[in-house]
Amino acid sequence: MANFWKLVQNENMKIYRRIRAWIMLGFVVFVPVLISAIYIIASGDNDANNWEMMKLETTILYQLITIFTVVKAADSVAGEFSTGTIKLLLIRPWSRSMILLSKFVALLLFALLQMALCFVVTWGLNAALFGISSDSSAVIPSFSPVAGESVWVYIGLLYLYLFIAQVMILSVAFMLSAAFRSGGLAIGLSIFVLLSGSFITGMLSLTEKPWVKYVLFANVDLTSYLSGSTPLPEQNMTLGFSLAVLAGYFIVFNLVSWLVFVRRDVAA
Amino acid sequence: MSLVPAARLQDVTKRIGNRTIIDRVSLEVYPGEVFGFLGPNGSGKTTTIRMMVGLMSLTSGDIAIGGHSVKTHYAEAAAQVGAIVENPEMYKYLTGYENLVHYARMNPSVTRERIDEVIKLVGLEGRIHDKVKKYSLGMRQRLGVAQAVMHRPKLLILDEPTNGLDPAGIRELRDYLRQLAREEGTSVFVSSHLLSEMELMCDRVAILQKGQIIDIRSIRGAETQTSLEQIALFEVDHPQNALGVLEGRGDGRIEDGLLAISATRDQIAETNRRLVEAGIRVYGIRAKTKSLEDQFLEVTGGETIG
Repeated sequence: MANFWKLVQNENMKIYRRIRAWIMLGFVVFVPVLISAIYIIASGDNDANNWEMMKLETTILYQLITIFTVVKAADSVAGEFSTGTIKLLLIRPWSRSMILLSKFVALLLFALLQMALCFVVTWGLNAALFGISSDSSAVIPSFSPVAGESVWVYIGLLYLYLFIAQVMILSVAFMLSAAFRSGGLAIGLSIFVLLSGSFITGMLSLTEKPWVKYVLFANVDLTSYLSGSTPLPEQNMTLGFSLAVLAGYFIVFNLVSWLVFVRRDVAA
Repeated sequence: MSLVPAARLQDVTKRIGNRTIIDRVSLEVYPGEVFGFLGPNGSGKTTTIRMMVGLMSLTSGDIAIGGHSVKTHYAEAAAQVGAIVENPEMYKYLTGYENLVHYARMNPSVTRERIDEVIKLVGLEGRIHDKVKKYSLGMRQRLGVAQAVMHRPKLLILDEPTNGLDPAGIRELRDYLRQLAREEGTSVFVSSHLLSEMELMCDRVAILQKGQIIDIRSIRGAETQTSLEQIALFEVDHPQNALGVLEGRGDGRIEDGLLAISATRDQIAETNRRLVEAGIRVYGIRAKTKSLEDQFLEVTGGETIG
């Protein structure tokens, strides 16, 4: 058996040899520049708190990054089926499980790369434009469990929680891509999950039924724990609880992807 | 030559719902043999090939490649197979070279030198760094052959390989496949509905109809078997008189002004002697061989959709 990393290299090649990947990465750089520029033009000065701007731009850019990741995830399996390349891919001396895993790993890396780029750009840009502010109380909410800690702890956790949410949406897109073999359907449904998440959480919070705290949407946004509240104030929820629920969904989504991909015949 | 068949299909059956697509297909492909898999469209050729390369599961039966079952030892079986399943679909946004690197990474035995070697072999040196979307169908076929033979497989499986090739390309492919079989001992399993192609390319053919094998026969060597009766056509000056001379051999008849008899090689020579001795002038003798096409239509009853 050759080493597994070569499969990931192949998947990377299929992601980054397409011009669209570079356009996506270009937007990850461009959007923060645009937001900071609009702020300076609109306010007429440049005395913003760089941490505040970094947090704002990250929350906006996160939505875009997730959409890009979803697009790539949806294409990853379904695209091979629609172009027919799946046939020449699956007749190699590798199990289907390993091929699927290599695709998932490459997508995780793509998500990670975008998050890293987002971090570097939003930090570097705002530090350069507005200077590094020593006032971290403006950015860390006073009820936050990390209130009083270094601003880096807060930013680090913010990125971690956003990344976890992104991995969940990625798993949904990947599952739909493997199950329906249709990139469009996978993109559409995953973006629905992404965008309707907060709306559905809002609706769920109106009821006090105990099961609502097990719903994916109620747990996917971990950042509310970071500001010292919980996604559903009426429910008794903790960060550990949400992480456990997310882990359960993660296993189910990926189990479905795997079962469908490994078992189904490649016909027509 | 090893005793293990390059491929052995045993009672291979595929059912989808309650429709039996492939029905107890059994065959063996020997090392160094070019084996034709012939059948009308919809007879199940592609389904069988998909099961051989692991793209589809078997409902029952087993397929062994070089002795390794595709059901239980897929990686070992797949390592010995090179294939093009239907059209050679490549990543169009990658160059030809990147496509080959992609498949080479999945097979530890393929080196950079080997990649360059197969590029020369299929004659794509000039265009290998172009994106595949700029390739003609013929060039994609060549790239398809390159990825299939790159890891020196023991069994090469080609589904309708002559689709989209011009006559020169077909001839080149045919010569190359025979050379592979002869010089490297590679077995070639090739499906087609083009009967004339198979006749020129294959050692043996299996004929598939409605998911069942209805015949497996040798193509080469049949004409040299002396005991086999064939139809001989005599071009003579007076066919009717000639028929009279051969009185006592009941099956002689006249076809298109030629005297036709069923006979073995020895009997043809004997008949010729008797005609000449009787003063009949013989201008020519030729064997009327049935083409594969005739045979094919005979066994399938001319039916096309299985």
